[in-house]
Amino acid sequence: MVQHTQELRKLIAQALPELDVVLAWTSGSNQLASAPLFITAEDDLDKLDFGPMHVQNLAAYLPSLKGRKVGIVTRGCDSRTIIELLQEKLINRDEITIFGIPCTGAVNIRKVREAADGQRLRSVEAGKDIVSVTTDEGVRTIPMQDVLMEKCYNCPSQTPLIHDHMVTERNGCHMTGEAPESTLDKLDAMEPDARFAFWEESMDRCIRCYACRNACPLCVCKDSCVAQSRDPHWVDLSDNPREKLMFQAIHALHTAGRCTECGECERACPMGIPILAMKQALNRRIKHLFDYEAGMDMENTPPLFMFRQQEEHIKERDAR
Amino acid sequence: MPVLEGKELRIVGFLCNWCSYGGADTAGVGRFAQPTDLRIIKLPCTGRVNPLFVVRAFLNGADGVLVSGCHPGDCHYTAGNFYARRRLEVLRELLDVMGIQPERFHYTWVSASEGQKWKQVVSDFTARIHELGPAASFSNCPAVTVETGMKAAI
Amino acid sequence: MNIGVFVCHCGSNIAGTVDTEKVAEAARSFPDVAFSTDTMYACSEPGQAGIIDAIKEYGLDGIVVASCTPRMHEATFRKTLERAGLNKYLFEMANIREHVSWIGKDKEANTNKATELVKMAVAKLRNNTELHAGEFEINKRVMVIGGGVAGIQAALDCADGGLEVILVERESSIGGKMAKLDKTFPTVDCSSCILGPRMVDVAQHPNITLYAMSEVESVNGFVGNFDVSIRKKATYVDWEACTGCGQCMEKCPSKKAEDHFNEGVGTTTAINIPFPQAIPKKAVINANACIMLSKGKCGACAKLCPTQAIRFEQQDEVVQEQVGAIIAATGYDLFDHTLYGEYGGGRYPDVITSIQYERLLSASGPTGGHIKRPSDGKEPRNVVFIQCVGSRDPSVNRPYCSGFCCMYTAKQAILTKDHIPDSQSHVFYMDIRSPGKLYDEFTRRAMEEYGARYIRGRVSTIQPRNGHYVVKGADTIMGTQVEVEADLVVLAVGAEASKGAGELAEKLRISYDGYGFFMEGHPKLKPVETNTAGVYLAGSCQGPKDIPSSVAQGSAAASKVQSLFSKDKLASDPQVSSVAMQRCVGCAKCESTCPFGAIEMTEFRGMPKASVVETVCQGCGVCAVTCPQGAIQLQHFTDNQILAEVNALCPY
Repeated sequence: MVQHTQELRKLIAQALPELDVVLAWTSGSNQLASAPLFITAEDDLDKLDFGPMHVQNLAAYLPSLKGRKVGIVTRGCDSRTIIELLQEKLINRDEITIFGIPCTGAVNIRKVREAADGQRLRSVEAGKDIVSVTTDEGVRTIPMQDVLMEKCYNCPSQTPLIHDHMVTERNGCHMTGEAPESTLDKLDAMEPDARFAFWEESMDRCIRCYACRNACPLCVCKDSCVAQSRDPHWVDLSDNPREKLMFQAIHALHTAGRCTECGECERACPMGIPILAMKQALNRRIKHLFDYEAGMDMENTPPLFMFRQQEEHIKERDAR
Repeated sequence: MPVLEGKELRIVGFLCNWCSYGGADTAGVGRFAQPTDLRIIKLPCTGRVNPLFVVRAFLNGADGVLVSGCHPGDCHYTAGNFYARRRLEVLRELLDVMGIQPERFHYTWVSASEGQKWKQVVSDFTARIHELGPAASFSNCPAVTVETGMKAAI
Repeated sequence: MNIGVFVCHCGSNIAGTVDTEKVAEAARSFPDVAFSTDTMYACSEPGQAGIIDAIKEYGLDGIVVASCTPRMHEATFRKTLERAGLNKYLFEMANIREHVSWIGKDKEANTNKATELVKMAVAKLRNNTELHAGEFEINKRVMVIGGGVAGIQAALDCADGGLEVILVERESSIGGKMAKLDKTFPTVDCSSCILGPRMVDVAQHPNITLYAMSEVESVNGFVGNFDVSIRKKATYVDWEACTGCGQCMEKCPSKKAEDHFNEGVGTTTAINIPFPQAIPKKAVINANACIMLSKGKCGACAKLCPTQAIRFEQQDEVVQEQVGAIIAATGYDLFDHTLYGEYGGGRYPDVITSIQYERLLSASGPTGGHIKRPSDGKEPRNVVFIQCVGSRDPSVNRPYCSGFCCMYTAKQAILTKDHIPDSQSHVFYMDIRSPGKLYDEFTRRAMEEYGARYIRGRVSTIQPRNGHYVVKGADTIMGTQVEVEADLVVLAVGAEASKGAGELAEKLRISYDGYGFFMEGHPKLKPVETNTAGVYLAGSCQGPKDIPSSVAQGSAAASKVQSLFSKDKLASDPQVSSVAMQRCVGCAKCESTCPFGAIEMTEFRGMPKASVVETVCQGCGVCAVTCPQGAIQLQHFTDNQILAEVNALCPY
């Protein structure tokens, strides 16, 4: 990892004179906190770090930096977001420089907390296949396999699909064994009424902070989000699960066929509400209906912005 | 003003002006008897049907929602119902994952001349909703009290 | 808002099963309702006067009428509002007749439902705003696409009315299918004798610009202001210089070129003028057959041409035209009979199509009007006509009747007898369709005076035997099998959409049906309009038609254009989309999904913003659903207006 970090710093240093800013990660106040790093000068490079503890999808910053020369450190999953943004012309390819890095998976800190039985975490160290956690009780190791972000278990491409520079690819892969049961799996197994109750209970905890929206790289409405507008007036501010669930439905449908399941919405949620499941369900359906996955090809059109006169997988319902 | 207690369930229809609204009119002109539950909202085109209208109706307590437009290829606006078809297929999955039975939602194509078919669509769909009974509702949710729209902003 | 509610009895139509008084009373408790009453006939003169009086007396600024369907009387009541000095869009209608009183007898349920529909209308109306129609200039030129008889008629009528006409024809001459016919039913007039003068009129009319050998490449813009690109295909002949003398055809060594005009009966020269009456009468080189263009050496025509008109280096050229209206008159093509294996699938030389037979009958045709079998040039004695080849047959995806084949078959049977007095015609038919003036009498004459033997039944196979063909079929009237020995078999091929009709429809943004025929605005009441303003239809592009119907539609479409152009300015419908500039993030999703290309991306303070071309927008609302931030809204059907209706019906 150290060697890779050096290599990445070198690549960025070479490109930096041509760029306004480079987006990367740095370790925050402690090892549990990763933070975005905005590199504008060579000195900033010392703070650069990457690895399983650095999870954030930096591509979310790109649309707001449109018009500037931006470098971005990118994993496989992040590159799908970039492709989707390019597809929708929300960013320009000639304005961004992609520094590809090999990824061995990203740690889901919530799962680490669960694995540590809820004890206070003093520090977390990510190794090759294990995560060692220091708590007040002592040190314990957890297999990396058990605490990855959900998206990592069936990651289609650990290296970026598009890049301008690439840190030497590492052989081997972080995937062994089965993915744990996801929220969507749990929901699938429920009766509809239980599902409805699940969302009511989940949304009851929602504090309407909109972190999910703000973290989502494809929520590009910025200050014009309909969740807070009066014209149009889609949701009201009464504190009840109905209005909060309405917002989640809005978010899911607005990103339908665009969402690359980066998981930032769920990761950002301070209440730990598993809202990614809704988007995953829609994506699953979209894959079946239109044989489409978001963020795979710059030339594609998201499926809800186009149509075919004969839809192969839609029964011509009641056609005459 | 709720639906008739014990008699009706709450069913909302979103119909395009050119075909299905005309089809519902044709059914009326032909005096084709239909159940009384359905309330129709007229739109220019199914392409104007935001799937979120349907979600809003369900979250506000609708027991069934019906969308109906021109047959594929007959859209007055050439492509509105082609877009609608994709959106509504995706909506079905969203309702499902939210715990709203997808059977409570139906979309179909009825032309302005198909009065008899419209009667059938309404009768079948209403019967289906009665079979399913009232939709799941939030256990502790007050009614919508806020005025919708610009009025509220003033 | 001060809203007035008027609940109509419609005599007993509504009041019979809805307690209108109770509905009116309930409406008084709805927000902003200042006045509510029931009325006997809201649409009648006293009914409308009552609405106007109430507007003045109670200071109403929004009206709900609960009565019949808005498709019936919305326009009526909107005018009422205007007479009272209100903006006509501050009006909503609750349909309590077609959707309530006429579909059930349960008065309690109906009254409750009617009340809810009124509540919904009030909720919507409270979110309505005044809308005002804009005006725009129109360009009073018209483009006619297709120079068959329908297009010729439309072009001449428009031009005679003083309009500038652009006539675009795909082939090298106008005339269409009618120019290929020998005679026309039921008068047995010579086809080119009646069409020829019309073609000449087109050529000589000062108001008509004719683009032959040309196709419409693209159409942009909207009613009153279309921008059209027209591709003039290379002819390799300078038409300015060509006099149509035909000397080049005599000397052209390449004589095996496909004879398109003569429907493949015989061959023709690579440089060609399709027929003597061609308009424009100019030579065209078929590049595939020309030795010079394919092998680089020959040039016989160039050496010989008295005006030096040959241009081997000529390229396609694209020209731009601006017009205010478009008439599509692109006609039809004929069904490919080779799909019928049982009729030889195109392998038997003497099983020909009806249009090929027409060319054999024609004095200007490849045989000089003598009926000669393609195989050996002999005159046939027994001719079998088979009807409905590619019509009324779902198995080849042609379930529709082509309409005119019964008549032309009767005509061809009559002409056969005229040409060869000792011949015998046999006609296999499904039903005779002859509903025009003197049409049925004509088919009777074919049978009774000309002795054509009509057999009601389908043909199952055609088999060659000893230089003849054995045609086997059923006689469903006699209930027997029939075998006829034929020297020549003529297949009455049905009409199908013109090749490329779908592509043209896409360019014109008009609908077309599953067979490629263009969709009229309304099957009964708007037969020559389309659902795209400013685009009209004439002739068989809308569906198979005979000559008189095509001519009538040509004139009808021309009259539609004339009435459109009778105004100097057009009013635009204000029920179109508009963009709230401050909410738009410039993502262009609306632009990409608009079926009409009505949205343009503009720049505002360096930021991309969507902007609606109001005259192009048709008001479908596809964009409003596409826009995640609701920045683009369809006026009169905004998110808030629809949400108000949803919330009125489902208050939780």
